[in-house]
Amino acid sequence: MKHTEQTDFEKWLHERTQSLPEPEVSSEFLAAQRRSIYGQLGEPRRNWPSLRWALSLALLVCMLAGGLTLQRLKTARGVSPAISDDQLFSDLSAMEQRNEPKAIQPIHGLFQE
Amino acid sequence: MMAAMADSLEANIDARAETREFGTWMVSEQKRVFLLCRRMLQDVGEADSATQDTFLKAWQALQRPETKNLDDPGKWLTRIAVNTCLDRLRSRRWQFWRKRPKAEDESAILNLAAATAPNAEDQLFARQIAQRLSRALKRLSLRQRAVFTLRHYEDRSLAEIAEILQLDVGTVKVHLFRATEKLREELHDLYFRDREENETHRTD
Repeated sequence: MKHTEQTDFEKWLHERTQSLPEPEVSSEFLAAQRRSIYGQLGEPRRNWPSLRWALSLALLVCMLAGGLTLQRLKTARGVSPAISDDQLFSDLSAMEQRNEPKAIQPIHGLFQE
Repeated sequence: MMAAMADSLEANIDARAETREFGTWMVSEQKRVFLLCRRMLQDVGEADSATQDTFLKAWQALQRPETKNLDDPGKWLTRIAVNTCLDRLRSRRWQFWRKRPKAEDESAILNLAAATAPNAEDQLFARQIAQRLSRALKRLSLRQRAVFTLRHYEDRSLAEIAEILQLDVGTVKVHLFRATEKLREELHDLYFRDREENETHRTD
């Protein structure tokens, strides 16, 4: 049923589009168009589509480079480098065993005989 | 020296003859190509530019030896025109800022021919259908629009459309079926009105 309706509609559409009056294009317009075409016949044609691709690619590369730089800057500024447990303990023990700062030494001298 | 001059003169004459031949062919095909572009692009300015592109591409292609003997130059040109329009429609998707030309500019370029329909009512109905069709065409996908335009406006067979669009006939049928379905939704009121009027005329 649906198929018959579709076929009927298609037939009607075809008849209607075929019977539509063809838009008349003025001869001046067509002549101007031809003049423009003749004017371009000798000229080398620019390859706009490939140029467009090249520009888009360049823009994409720039955006990627910018994104990467931004990310690097963020990591360099923000987060302090992570330290492992071993590193922390070795740092602490080194601090413990280190000589005390010089400014405190005279005070120690008071208690020494 | 003289031989070189003669050769150059001969080449010049050949080039002129070629241009003249191309010009004659262009005159015979120009309006058809322009209307095809206009129906596909739904924009006079763009159709003008697409028509120029089509002929320039054809001219360039004709300079190559492999295109010297074409079986059907008209069909070949149609393929160039359809592909040019499809390229433009694809790139138009990104140009959301693009303005449409004013209606008065379009009518200045295109003067609608006096309708061949016998009475004013028929003329009005034909205009209504043309307007609604052009609006509905914009809602079709690019391939559906191309298939519909070639089938109904250019009156081409499914095999010809398949050849022009370089698709198989089955795919063309699917595109046409979907396009017709969408248009049926858009134009169902006009369709039923027309059918009812025809039936009334028949019973009278």
